[in-house]
Amino acid sequence: MTGRLIAGARRRPAGFAVLLVIVLIVVNTIVQPAFASWNQVAPTLGTMAPFAIAGMASTPAFLSGGGGIDLSVAPLIGFINILLVTKLFGTPFGSPFLAVPILLAVGAAIGAINGVMVARLRIPPVIATLGTYFVLSGVDLDLVPNPVTASPNWTDHLAGSIGPVPGALVTIGVPLALWYVLRRSAFVESLLAVGDHDATAFSAGMNVNAVRISAYALGGLIAAIGGIALTGLVQSADSQTFGNYLLVALAAVALGGANLTGGRGGLFPSVMGAASIFLLENLLTSLHTSAYFIQVAYGAVLFVAVLFGARLFRQESTA
Amino acid sequence: MGLKVSDLVKSFGTTQALRGCSLDLRAGEVLAIMGENGSGKSTLVKILSGVHRPDAGTITVGGDTVPFLGTPRDSIAVGIATVFQEILCVPQQSVLTNIWLGQDGLLRRRVPALERRQRAAAVLGTLIDDPHLDLPAAQLPLSERQAICVARALVRAPRILILDEATSALDVATRDRLFEVLGRLRAEGTSVLFISHRMDEVEEIADRITVMRSGEAVATLNRGEATTRELVALMTGSTDVHQQMHPTLDTPAGGASKHHVVLGATGVRLRAGATPIDAEIRAGEMLGVAGLEGHGQDAFLRVLSGVPPVGGSVTCAGGNGHSAVRSPADALRRGIAYVPRDRRDESIFESRSILENFQVATLDKDRRRGLVMRARAERRFEHFVHLLKIRAGNRSNPITSLSGGNQQKVVIARWLAMNPRVLLLNDPTRGVDAGTKRDIYRVLSEAAAQGVAVVMLSTEVLELVELMDRVLVFREGELFTELSRSGLTRSRLVASYFGRVEQA
Repeated sequence: MTGRLIAGARRRPAGFAVLLVIVLIVVNTIVQPAFASWNQVAPTLGTMAPFAIAGMASTPAFLSGGGGIDLSVAPLIGFINILLVTKLFGTPFGSPFLAVPILLAVGAAIGAINGVMVARLRIPPVIATLGTYFVLSGVDLDLVPNPVTASPNWTDHLAGSIGPVPGALVTIGVPLALWYVLRRSAFVESLLAVGDHDATAFSAGMNVNAVRISAYALGGLIAAIGGIALTGLVQSADSQTFGNYLLVALAAVALGGANLTGGRGGLFPSVMGAASIFLLENLLTSLHTSAYFIQVAYGAVLFVAVLFGARLFRQESTA
Repeated sequence: MGLKVSDLVKSFGTTQALRGCSLDLRAGEVLAIMGENGSGKSTLVKILSGVHRPDAGTITVGGDTVPFLGTPRDSIAVGIATVFQEILCVPQQSVLTNIWLGQDGLLRRRVPALERRQRAAAVLGTLIDDPHLDLPAAQLPLSERQAICVARALVRAPRILILDEATSALDVATRDRLFEVLGRLRAEGTSVLFISHRMDEVEEIADRITVMRSGEAVATLNRGEATTRELVALMTGSTDVHQQMHPTLDTPAGGASKHHVVLGATGVRLRAGATPIDAEIRAGEMLGVAGLEGHGQDAFLRVLSGVPPVGGSVTCAGGNGHSAVRSPADALRRGIAYVPRDRRDESIFESRSILENFQVATLDKDRRRGLVMRARAERRFEHFVHLLKIRAGNRSNPITSLSGGNQQKVVIARWLAMNPRVLLLNDPTRGVDAGTKRDIYRVLSEAAAQGVAVVMLSTEVLELVELMDRVLVFREGELFTELSRSGLTRSRLVASYFGRVEQA
């Protein structure tokens, strides 16, 4: 029984990250017993949510193959945060029923622009999304050179609780639920096939460009959810905070066990990757480790995950 | 239904691949297309499958003119399904995904999940036994991956099925089953365009044969209307009917046993628990290794090339007696060269030039005071261009500008240039036209005559029968039997693949 469980876990790409998360939760609780108390759960998850969502938003671009990567996720999260705080709050569009669809549309549209540059204009993904990164960072800075505090608003619940439910379960849960639906549809299968070997997918009659553009648009849409979750957490518009999420998001995908050249991975593994990074930071902070050393630890965990996770937890193809 | 192609023209830069090609594929027939590499077969297939667009000409499917096949999607939409020469799989995805690839919309699934499984199992089951639908395609052997590509085409129930060298990687059993399926499809009215370099296959399955040469269809013959010689003459355009598809060479054998042993396998096991293999390879002999696809001949050749076996060892004659070959790099140092089977993935450097692809294994010979002299490489290469009759334009063009056969010649030239003592070749004539085969056979036997031990894996029976001094036949990861020149006949060889020993 246990053997089968272990064998089953080892076939899962997220196996290593899940194990890491469990271990880190236990260690965090030992070091700091309050960590596991119920009234800590919602705020902890709220702090983690932007990490997790940034990780998820970075995933589809990787999965789509062809050197796919989206460097613009973090500044897009910042852009959505700024848009929400400075342009929508205090206007009739500030209500969640209008603001959420608008922001999701903006996120998806910016993602789709990345996708068009990559798929149709054949710009290498690193360059295309780096360009978007610079443009968005500049726009972010131009809109709010200094942080602007938000007026009281509905996003507060997202970083805390909605009734008894931690709000972060909603912000993290929505992309996961969306992904689940997409898995039932043909999209995820197509995305993995395109990422795996695009020439095969093309010759089999797949619309490779449409799949790739959709992947980047999906990343943008998830990033928009991240922007909303970030607003809930910081309750201000700030053109600096998104920097925290830039590289960690990419690390989360790798740690989750996705194949960074495409064809294997999912959103849940990236959430686990992000969670392990977040929990590690939490642990080291509560141990009063220096912030610089925390960076070193990130790097070390990433190496370990990629080296040992690959050996222990993945059935590599034989050919 | 049927397919009619009229006056197709297609150029790539200055090369005219098709110059007014016309052909007629009737409903319910198997039409074979034969032609040397560079005759325009591949281009024709790529136009019909929507990969390339023609410069001029018309395509009619079932009487309707198809205005425009811009992408594979368009081609599939008019009822054409193509199995390409390359084995195209999405390796990390399941067999099931691979079979249904390209049939769904962006979101919408066109076939319900249960039906997907059942139909995939049924179609793949006609080709191979016990198909595993949930395994990643990469975990299957080559022959089964090729079967997946065939199943992907069949599951679409196409009006027109194009098989472009689709049998080259299939093992004999699977190929026979595919031919049964083709027979059934033909009876149901499906048209099949069958491209193959294997004369025996064409004779077995084709109702008519269209011969292509220099971008045109030069003749269409009914089955049995022409002899092999006449077909070859049509393909090459030469009136010299004495040129055979498979030239019987002056036997270099007989004397071979006098030469010394250069390479020896001692107690080699290809899988745990297998009977150990002992073999000796002598200078100047031509040794074939054969068997049904995936029965160990491929693994054996790799072991000879220095890949450590499961058990036992490979020894190579050196200055002071025989010593074990430890790795492929070690094998190379001792003069053992290996030409891999998969040209694109294992032998050529796609983005490098023709000359660089030739030069890469012997860079030292062009070095003077630490600098690489291009002129030297060019001089060395010219020798092989003449020897192998390589048709290469500018030597600085990318290797991919050459036809597959010429790429293979460059690879063979690369290894011959290091003056190997042992030349290992893994199915070097796969997907190569008759003329190129002749050139390769000639060069290999010349090399053997000069004392090189040539060990060649081949999937083509005739090639083994006519070329080799002896053939090692593998079965289920073990050495099944050895056929020497005197006892080497077609029927005995094929029988041994299936585990039967026929008396001479």
